[in-house]
Amino acid sequence: MSEKMYLYPVWTRIWHAFNAVLCLALIVTGFSMLYSNPDRFVVNFSSAVAIHNVAGVLLTFNYFLFFVGNIFTTNGKHYRMKLKGLGQRLFLQMRYYAFGYFKGEESPFPVTTEQKFNPLQQVSYVGVMYGIMFVLFITGWALLFPEFILKKLLGFSGIFLTAQLHVIMGFLVFVFLFIHLYVSTMGVTATSNFKSIVNGWQEKH
Amino acid sequence: MKSYLLLFILSICLYFPSMAMNFSLDSNPDSVAVRGIDNSLYAQDNEQNCLRCHGELYYTIEDTLSGSVKRRLMGEHLRVSRDEFYSSVHWNFNCLDCHSEGYTAFPHALELRFEESWGCIDCHGYDEKFAKYNFEGIEQEFQKSVHYTAMEGEFTCWECHNPHTYKVHAREAQSSENFIVESNNMCLTCHGSPEKFGLYSDRKLGGVMTKHDWLPNQTLHLQAVRCIECHTMQGDDVMVAHFVTPKDNAVKNCVDCHSQNSILVGSLYKFQSKEARSKYGVLNGVILSNDSYVIGANRSLFISYGGIIAVVLTLLGIAIHSIFRIIIKR
Repeated sequence: MSEKMYLYPVWTRIWHAFNAVLCLALIVTGFSMLYSNPDRFVVNFSSAVAIHNVAGVLLTFNYFLFFVGNIFTTNGKHYRMKLKGLGQRLFLQMRYYAFGYFKGEESPFPVTTEQKFNPLQQVSYVGVMYGIMFVLFITGWALLFPEFILKKLLGFSGIFLTAQLHVIMGFLVFVFLFIHLYVSTMGVTATSNFKSIVNGWQEKH
Repeated sequence: MKSYLLLFILSICLYFPSMAMNFSLDSNPDSVAVRGIDNSLYAQDNEQNCLRCHGELYYTIEDTLSGSVKRRLMGEHLRVSRDEFYSSVHWNFNCLDCHSEGYTAFPHALELRFEESWGCIDCHGYDEKFAKYNFEGIEQEFQKSVHYTAMEGEFTCWECHNPHTYKVHAREAQSSENFIVESNNMCLTCHGSPEKFGLYSDRKLGGVMTKHDWLPNQTLHLQAVRCIECHTMQGDDVMVAHFVTPKDNAVKNCVDCHSQNSILVGSLYKFQSKEARSKYGVLNGVILSNDSYVIGANRSLFISYGGIIAVVLTLLGIAIHSIFRIIIKR
């Protein structure tokens, strides 16, 4: 029986579950709207608009839980990066995923209660949670109240630019989702990380 | 010599009142017009003379027998703004080019009110100069419209297009925003005013906003599209559809606009899309991108394909990594 660590406190698991469900709803409805077609649709347009709006608002509230939680609990330390030597650490982790992992090498940055993310995860999670999601919220809320958007910017319609930025960020989250899910299968077993995010405990390698 | 001098003075005295009257008109043409029951005041530049009353908020009438002068309010529907007239497409027309000679008499005869006015087709139809605008097609569409059919031909072009103020908006507007406002104002003149609507129908006029309650983002929709986008039958023959349909036939399905085959390409963006097609070759993604955004219709090819390519490459990377994992059994 391998040793277990308690990595995901209740609030992060609740936040993560809501985040996952809402992001999936937003991706599906976002695609339905962007590639709207009267003959083929996953969710019909007016339902997609309504679901997307409600899910977007709920995700913002959920994000506040994450944001405030990371300020007031120790979970925030996982998102604080030391820039010094970051390039080298990222390279080591990429090398591990590309070669070391297959050779059966030990992970260069094993999971501990002090640092549950490896450098590559840390950079991508910080990028997604404090960069991409933030831009999505700003542009998404702006599109809910389009009267506040600049009419023209650099000769383009302000709404057009806001919407395109929203779509680009949406695609990045979509790409992130696939990588996130795949990397999650690289735990002790293919399913162990999925169990961890449900019960909070992770096995040590 | 004395008799010549007397004749000269006498003629000055006789002539002076009319000179004085003309002077007061010419020196202050924008002021309250002085209009007697005196046909001699009608001069060559008749639009100036017409506008001396019809271009003003007030006019005065004078009974030359009793000398009584009354100031009257010029009815709004009879008023023509000089600024608007001279900046309209018909600015160089003389009033009598379109209006009867009978209007040179004061007060205007009652029967003139029943005078049939020219329609657009009467001047613009069957003329090579205007062929590309297809006024004949517009007339045909208009005659099928609910306005025309419901009013048994009493509804003319002028109910919507005021010939005294008409400007070409859609063709010349840099941004669609401007001509959308102009176009919608045309409809709201009656459909937003119970008084004006009552001229044509005994039905109770419902509120425009209430009737469009079902529209999400209502204000944005009403600012970004013209009423005619949903309330006309769109054809390819004319630039601006004139076949206004009964309200039950109006477009109410979101995807009619919010999809790649958006009807807006054939209506609101018809002119821009024709221009863009000739410029770029294809596709509404290019056409609609600069000036507006319609979810589902505007697909920036770069972003849409770029996004899909990014997703496909990610899945490919994952697949390759997975294959190695299966081979190495990890």
